[in-house]
Amino acid sequence: MTNNPVNRLKTDEEIITISGLNKWYGDFHVLKDIDLTVKQGERIVICGPSGSGKSTLIRCINRLEEFQQGSLVVDGTELIEDVKNIETVRREVGMVFQHFNLFPHLSILENLTLGPIWVQKMPKAEAEAVAMKYLERVKIPDQANKYPGQLSGGQQQRVAIARSLCMSPKIMLFDEPTSALDPEMIKEVLDVMIELAEEGMTMLCVTHEMGFAKKVADRVIFMDAGEIVEQNTPHEFFDSPQVDRTQQFLQQILNH
Amino acid sequence: MNKLQTFTPSPARPAPENTVGPAVWLKNNLFSTPLDTVATLLLGYILLTILPGVIDWLFLSANWTGDSQDACVNDGACWVFVSAWSQQFFYGSYPTDELWRVNLSIAMLVVIIAASYQFEKGVREKIIIPLFLLLPVISIAILDGSYLGLERVSTDLWGGFSLNVLLAAASIIVAFPLGFIWALGRRSHMPFARSISIILIEFFRGVPVLALFFMGSVMLPLFFPEGTSVDKLVRVWIVLILFMAGYMAEVFRGGFNAIPQGQYEAADSLGLSYWQKTVLIILPQVIKVSMPNILATFVMLFKNTTFLLIIGIFEMLSTTQTALSNSRWLGGHAEEGYIFVAVVFWTVCFSMSMIATNIERKLNTDHQ
Repeated sequence: MTNNPVNRLKTDEEIITISGLNKWYGDFHVLKDIDLTVKQGERIVICGPSGSGKSTLIRCINRLEEFQQGSLVVDGTELIEDVKNIETVRREVGMVFQHFNLFPHLSILENLTLGPIWVQKMPKAEAEAVAMKYLERVKIPDQANKYPGQLSGGQQQRVAIARSLCMSPKIMLFDEPTSALDPEMIKEVLDVMIELAEEGMTMLCVTHEMGFAKKVADRVIFMDAGEIVEQNTPHEFFDSPQVDRTQQFLQQILNH
Repeated sequence: MNKLQTFTPSPARPAPENTVGPAVWLKNNLFSTPLDTVATLLLGYILLTILPGVIDWLFLSANWTGDSQDACVNDGACWVFVSAWSQQFFYGSYPTDELWRVNLSIAMLVVIIAASYQFEKGVREKIIIPLFLLLPVISIAILDGSYLGLERVSTDLWGGFSLNVLLAAASIIVAFPLGFIWALGRRSHMPFARSISIILIEFFRGVPVLALFFMGSVMLPLFFPEGTSVDKLVRVWIVLILFMAGYMAEVFRGGFNAIPQGQYEAADSLGLSYWQKTVLIILPQVIKVSMPNILATFVMLFKNTTFLLIIGIFEMLSTTQTALSNSRWLGGHAEEGYIFVAVVFWTVCFSMSMIATNIERKLNTDHQ
């Protein structure tokens, strides 16, 4: 990471601090003593077998999931029961879901302006201008007046990314953003994400797109059975994984 | 050397001869198997034996003109009965000179419903929905008159089919939001809100509507402060609202269950508050998926307003019965009277179905 100009945007300021985080679903221990710090501008890819708790972990960061033990601080706001804190954090953290979760009863433009208008109290005209700016960035300004059901999966996911960006988040969470897409459409979504990474957005991305991880990640985290098994730079992670479990996993996903 | 070929789709061919045309339709729909053929012939025979008599009674030998039952000289139906009593059927005993007020109320209802089609979403949310919610109050003011400086028409005189329509509409308008709030309460994590909602919903759904009407006219006054008397029609209105809200709450509950978890999560991750999420994201989708059931409940409530004859409210069915027992019309006109009531109700209910189908199509933005 030397000649990339974006790296200059990085600071040592910690934007997410997770320590001693534990979560149970009933008796099932989903997350075990997670410690993780994320710096401003850092791009992190989280991978691991299904059921390893990787989605649950990033969903804790914007409190879509509660946890029972430990602490989680996002940009100076500690996530506790307090609704005020939760809403503050959610305003700063954007999330992109596996199944897009666009609002089917609203047009694309309305999907994008809803957050700015109701949460940030932005005037409608201004919100629409912002929305159009981001729709252009994800390269589908001509779809603004259509409804989500009329768009392809790849287009819907790009709209979902634009919807999060309209809230000008400091952190973006991606929960398997390409897993529900046809192979032809994965690239158009990844391209948008790569562009976003190059602009210095702090990103946590649960994905199995190892090409993407190699290209943009500062750090790759491998999780299994609720624990962080290994974390390293992509180069080290893919070329010389330290733990057996990681080697097994990489063999399975890279040699099929 | 690679030479790229241009792909040209082959032209569409016409459908084969034997799949279109009336003869094919007949064969496919009426005579496709031996059993179908037998059924078609049998039903055709039955229709042919019954229909001529029915048509003859209803139309050909029916009596259409006149103003007393002496005019009914033919064998067929005596529609004179219906035309002579039509004002009572539609307006009850409302004073003839003041009928414009009833017409105005109905017209407002129709105009607002029509307007909700015509205008775009912004206008609909800001103007038409508030107007809808105010409509019961405005209609009561107009029909009663005393608040507007008009001649007061006591509710004893209100009646006929217009009362069925206005009472049903006024109940639905209030019950709709109330039922939604009950449904939200039932899903709430707060034990108090949850149990109150469940008790209300199950009570008003579990008790027969007739029993509710009797309770409304006999028991409800006990709950009002001493010395105040609440009009019988208002009591009935309250009962209809609560009864309807119980049903609507369950209809909405079904709708809530159909909304994917992802919609809540997406709304949460944008930082929307509970009420913003509920009103902006969940409510419109719940209404959309519940539309067929919402309509079925409307139709049920509308037809249930005829039960009011039992507690002495002069809605259409009880005016018909009164007319049937009038000494100048004792010739047995029950068939004409009830057929007329049935046709009127059916027409309105069928129109409601058509409107609902139309709304469903409009709301269906999933795949266009």
